[in-house]
This record gives sequence, C-alpha cells and structure tokens, in this order.
Amino acid sequence: MTPALTDLGNRLATYLSRVWEEPLVLSDIEQIPGGASRETYRVQLARGAEQAPRGVILRRDPVTSLIDTERALEFKTYEAVHRCGFPVPEPLLLEEDPAVLDRPFSLMAEITGCETATTNFAISPFAEVRDKLGELKWSLLGRLAAMDIEELGVHEFMPVPEHPAARELEYWSGVIRADALQPQPVAEAAIRWLEKRLPEPSGQLCLVHGDYRSGNFLYNAAGEIPAILDWEMAHIGDPLEDLAWSFDPLWAWPDKVLAGGLLQRKAAMAIWQRASNMEVDADAFRWWQVFASLKGLAIWISSTEDFAHGESKEPILAVAGWLMTDRHNRIVVDRLNPASRHQYSEPLQ
Amino acid sequence: MIPEPGKALAELAGKLALDVLPEVGSTYGMANAGLISLLMGALAEDFERAIANRFADIAELRDLFAQASAAPGATERAEFAASEPASLKLADVCTWHDEGMALLIELHRWAEQTDTAVDGEIWQFLYRHTERNCFAD
Repeated sequence: MTPALTDLGNRLATYLSRVWEEPLVLSDIEQIPGGASRETYRVQLARGAEQAPRGVILRRDPVTSLIDTERALEFKTYEAVHRCGFPVPEPLLLEEDPAVLDRPFSLMAEITGCETATTNFAISPFAEVRDKLGELKWSLLGRLAAMDIEELGVHEFMPVPEHPAARELEYWSGVIRADALQPQPVAEAAIRWLEKRLPEPSGQLCLVHGDYRSGNFLYNAAGEIPAILDWEMAHIGDPLEDLAWSFDPLWAWPDKVLAGGLLQRKAAMAIWQRASNMEVDADAFRWWQVFASLKGLAIWISSTEDFAHGESKEPILAVAGWLMTDRHNRIVVDRLNPASRHQYSEPLQ
Repeated sequence: MIPEPGKALAELAGKLALDVLPEVGSTYGMANAGLISLLMGALAEDFERAIANRFADIAELRDLFAQASAAPGATERAEFAASEPASLKLADVCTWHDEGMALLIELHRWAEQTDTAVDGEIWQFLYRHTERNCFAD
C-alpha cells in the first residue's frame, strides 16, 4: 500500500465506521486497473478478531474520465437491477459530498474469485467454458431487454425517449463535434449515413446497459457470470442498441469471427432472441451496428480531448486517442465503403 | 544523437514491457506500465511515417479535388491544392493536412448526393488513409 492509498483507505474506514455504526479498520487497499470512468479500488476492512474482513469496491469520480457520466444515475441503476435479481454487485452506498474522499464516490460489495480479462477466453481453464459464458452473456442481455422498465423503476430517474435512435445519434454526434481535435471525415460520413437511414422507433423500450461487452462482466472458471459491471452509460432505449454494441468487432479485435471473443454472431443472436422473446429486424440492426462503431469513435475522440486538455494524464485516455480511434476508423470504413473487402468486420446482414 | 529515434522508442517500449513491468509491485501499476509500453510502440511506429503519410494523403487529395472541379467549393479546394505547409514541423504539416480533410468532408457530403463516382473515390481514399496510418495489431 502506498501512503496515498493508505490515507484514502483510512479515511474510508473512518467514514464507514460512523455511517455503518461498526468499528472498521483498513486492512488492505489496491487500485483496480481498467476503471476508465471511475477510479476503482478493492478495499478490505477488518471488523474485529471474530469476524471475517469485509470486502468492498470503492468507485470514486476521477479528475477526468473516458466517459462523462452521472454517478447518481449509475448508482440508482445498480439498485434497480439488483432489486430485480439481475446479477450485479450489490450497491451499498452513494456519497456525493466531496469533503469525505475529495470527490464523490459509491461503494459496492466485492465479488471474489472472478476475472474480467477477455484475453483469458482463449486459454485454459476458461477456453473450456467459452461457449457456456457466451450462452450466459447473451441470455442475460436478452433477459435485460425483456425486463419492463416500469417494473424496474428506471423510468422514474431516466428520460424515456420518443425516438431512441434519433436521441442516441444526436447525443453522440454532438460529442464528436464538440470534442474532435481534428476533422473526422470517417465519423462525419457515418453520421450522414445514419441520419439518412434512421429507423422508426420499434416501440420496444428497455433498460440499455450502454457498454455491454466482453470485459464488462465478472466470470469464473466454472463458466458462471456472477455480475455485469459498468452501468455508467445505462439509459432507456432500443433493445438492439446493446446487442449491436456487444457484436462490435473491436471487442474481439483482431478476431472478426467470434462476437466478444466468445460465440459466432449467429449463435449469439439466436440465444438473445430466445431470451428476449424478440425478433431482430435486420434493417434496424444494421443501423445499430453502424451506430455502435460511431459511438465507439465518439468515446475515443472525447478521451483524446480529455487527455490533451484535461487534468488527467491516464494512459488509457491516450491509448483511446491513438489505438482505439485507429481501429474504429478502420471498422467504420470497412462497414460503409461500397468497395469494402471486409477485413475487420463481417458484412452487414 | 541516436539516428533512428523510432527504433530507439520501440526498443524502450520493449524494455518497459519485458523488464520493468514484471518488477512493478501492484496490478494497477503493471496495467499502466503495459499501456505506456503499448503507446510507446505506437508512437515509435508513427514517428518515422507521420510526415510522409500526411504528404501521401495530400497528394491523393489534390488528385481527388482536381476530379471534382464541378462541385461547390472548387476555389477553396484549388487554393488548398496549390498550398504548402508553413514548415516541415509535424504540427504545421498536421494543420495543413487538417485543412485538406475539412475540405474533403464538404466534398464527400456533396458527392453522396450528386456523384457516385466521386463518392466511391473518397471511400477508397479513406480506406487507404486509414490503412496507411493504422497501428500494428
């Protein structure tokens, strides 16, 4: 533990002792890599000789992040889906007073014995349960798509869009135009393509996770998925949005065959359709696939701007600026070029 | 001075990944060292080619702009095609390149509506542009 980490952990333990009315002492704290939108820490708190330490995950607002999101909305989303039995870490507490830990934060219960890295899917013992993980991943997404937003209660704190596709396109085009440091001919061509082909609202609204991809769920060697993570971009929208995002070639790069490095797209789609009890409209899905790649570009362009002009110099922001922008530019050209050879993405169906 | 800075940068990226990273004590530190090594590798790739690639793009843009002389904005495109960067420093070459790309966006918008052949040429240019500037996977 570095002195800065120890100080953070001690301040958290003091705060929780007061809020939970239980004497807690910091026993360990480590920062978890990959929390691009929040600083994420695993914290162990000792509770006296008789009791096992309590593990919590601390998610603190960063100075700047990959994705500018509303922490209260994210926390309420965790509460809503957890209440309905959807696998997420149990949300414990949201503290918006920056006086406590310098910046607002939330706490989740720790889930142990799991992995998130997508590179494991190709190696033992995880390769043996890859199909099972794929089945679960898209079953859970189908289940989420089928959940009633009013039963979940998310309509009480999220806007209900009249035209989800139009709303998403307007938002992410705006991000690109506000944050781009250079002209973006590929993104602009994609925006025009999407504007011209805007699908009519399907009439099916669901809670969209917003970043449902390999890397954003916990899994283990038994082929279980105990939790879906990172709900900071959750919103009410079209069920196809998450499905298309989960299929984006970037999440299995450079493999273009297996969606998310787990399953053939056709198999994943069949699982999703079965679990959601919805049929995929091919034209609408094509639109959401192109949108997914544009949204990816928007996130990377925005991260580049954050790195160049913001306070944070996190390497992940710079990686987005060079490597991720490059890959998503190639994917978008691959998708839309009339003479495409489909080097990076499957042909749009 | 090391005559091949790109190569030196790549070697330092390798050193960071193979020698330094395993010695870092925390998972967070290892992840960041890995990312910085990855970035240094990408910068090493771009170091040698950046100016040449922007000139290659602009050579193609000049041809494209000449083909599309009937499209609105021909004067601005002709002026750009006749221009040169303020200097051969990367920042100046990038500013010049950005001017060309901004004109390309407007031409593409027009071509999509009006001229399928130019639209196809622009997509092929964008393909070559992204391939030229891509990083090793």
